[in-house]
Amino acid sequence: MKLQEIIDKLDLKILTNIEDKEVEGVFISDMLSDVMTSAKPDDLWLTVQTHTNTVSAVNLIDMAAMVVTQGKVVPQNTIELANRYHVVILSTPYTTFELATKLVGIGLKAT
Amino acid sequence: MPVDQSISIKKIKESLEADVIVGDDLTGVSAKHIYASDLMSDVLAYGKTGSVLLTGLNTIQAVISSYMAEFTAIIFLRGKKPGSDMQKFAKDKDITILSTKADMYEACIKIARIDGNLPITEGVPIHTKEEDNITSHEFKIDGHDFASAGMVSTQIKSILKTIGYDPLIIRRIAISTYEGEMNVVMHAIRAKVTLNAGNKEIVVIIDDEGKGIPDVERAMQQGYSTATEEQRALGFGSGMGLPNIKKNSDLLNVTSEIGKGTKLEIKFFVK
Amino acid sequence: MQEEKCSHSWKMVNIAYGFVITEKCYQTDKVATYFTFEHKPPLEEYREGDHFWNVMESAQSFRFDLKCTKCGLITTFNELMGLMMCTGCDKTCEVDIIREKLASDRTWVYVAFGFLPINERKQLTQEKILILENYFNQRRKSSKSRIKIVSHEIVKNFATCYAEVIKDIDMLCLTAPEGE
Repeated sequence: MKLQEIIDKLDLKILTNIEDKEVEGVFISDMLSDVMTSAKPDDLWLTVQTHTNTVSAVNLIDMAAMVVTQGKVVPQNTIELANRYHVVILSTPYTTFELATKLVGIGLKAT
Repeated sequence: MPVDQSISIKKIKESLEADVIVGDDLTGVSAKHIYASDLMSDVLAYGKTGSVLLTGLNTIQAVISSYMAEFTAIIFLRGKKPGSDMQKFAKDKDITILSTKADMYEACIKIARIDGNLPITEGVPIHTKEEDNITSHEFKIDGHDFASAGMVSTQIKSILKTIGYDPLIIRRIAISTYEGEMNVVMHAIRAKVTLNAGNKEIVVIIDDEGKGIPDVERAMQQGYSTATEEQRALGFGSGMGLPNIKKNSDLLNVTSEIGKGTKLEIKFFVK
Repeated sequence: MQEEKCSHSWKMVNIAYGFVITEKCYQTDKVATYFTFEHKPPLEEYREGDHFWNVMESAQSFRFDLKCTKCGLITTFNELMGLMMCTGCDKTCEVDIIREKLASDRTWVYVAFGFLPINERKQLTQEKILILENYFNQRRKSSKSRIKIVSHEIVKNFATCYAEVIKDIDMLCLTAPEGE
């Protein structure tokens, strides 16, 4: 599914520069160690983490984008680093659980 | 709105094909909300009573935080299984623990498909600072529960930090609450703690059931400059900590009744 | 007889969770790190010869092996403590030079670092670094980007390096971290 379609259907806010991406699955975790062992390329990553090192994790795995849930504020330095390294960060006021239920609702199955 | 908004843990266990790690009887255990997170400081600040935690954080902090946030159960994901320390703590505090091979997305989807109604926040951000917005939280302290001593003040500190108050006021509140909490643990039977955090003032109320303080005025005065062993011997034991609380707060109101208990109303003004 | 060379296809296996402990000797300022499976890392100070070790930090971590799905070969990575992404903080650092060169191709540069003290511990070989790099690149589907992993040995100054370390921060503390 195209990232833009997900953004439009779930009213996600775009915090960085936007890129055309294909989303293949959804990965949820706030632990970067779990990202390294279990996240897959082209996953949409749901998390409440906003530290600059999330950018590092996204690019290592090549995830499609990062969605920060619960309306958490993403610091400017994280957004700047993301823009430098072509990482897309989105935001939603919904909780992680709620967003997960909405994502499956628009057709993103568990892989 | 439906009266009973919850999902039974038995149904969750079945749908996730989960193993029961802690929990003799799952009847009556249910989830009013689902909290999917690995960040325990968030659980402390935003977690609602009666929730079930879905997490991959396999450490004692996950169990402590669930206990403090009054969650009914924890489900560990990706086949992670808690160690004996974690199991013991959960068992003592009556928290059910399950373990499932599912990852968090799969677990969320499966739970969402179970028959039952969970309130959705309708996309309202959890922290909105409105005019005169007051957020209230309630906690319990058990007397002589030294293993849990300090947890209420830790939780209050976490909530205040997340709301974004000035670190200096948070420090004063944390110290005062800690003193009050330790007092309850050492001298009272139990207590109810209420936190009312607003834009203009923050109030912490510690209302305990215990022996009470014989002479409140004296405890506050003398202790203010010299908190000593001899004071304890004079029977001011249950008034200890008051001097420090007074020092760190803006307004302290103490009411006590011998044989019944003591109530502390501690106020802090937000600048 | 010519040895058949397998163009390996890697998969992460034998994942085990634990902690990375950072210790410092307050007498000599020496810093050491190690991996442990212990749920309760030792928090008391202890003496070892001339050193008085104090635990400075404990962080969630994991260990893994890579297994080739074609030939079954297993490569272990116990010497790897972590990976960090170069953010280009020092133009005279060899890592930054590589980063600059590869940036336009969307190849992100990561540094693999081992446990401390560097000169006393077994570090990752160049061969293993390449295997790790292949693992992350092979999985990529949309292949608009790649990664390159380099050894920490070419980092100009570790102490002032601004690379973004992939690690769990503040997971073991109960209050919200500073600045949030």
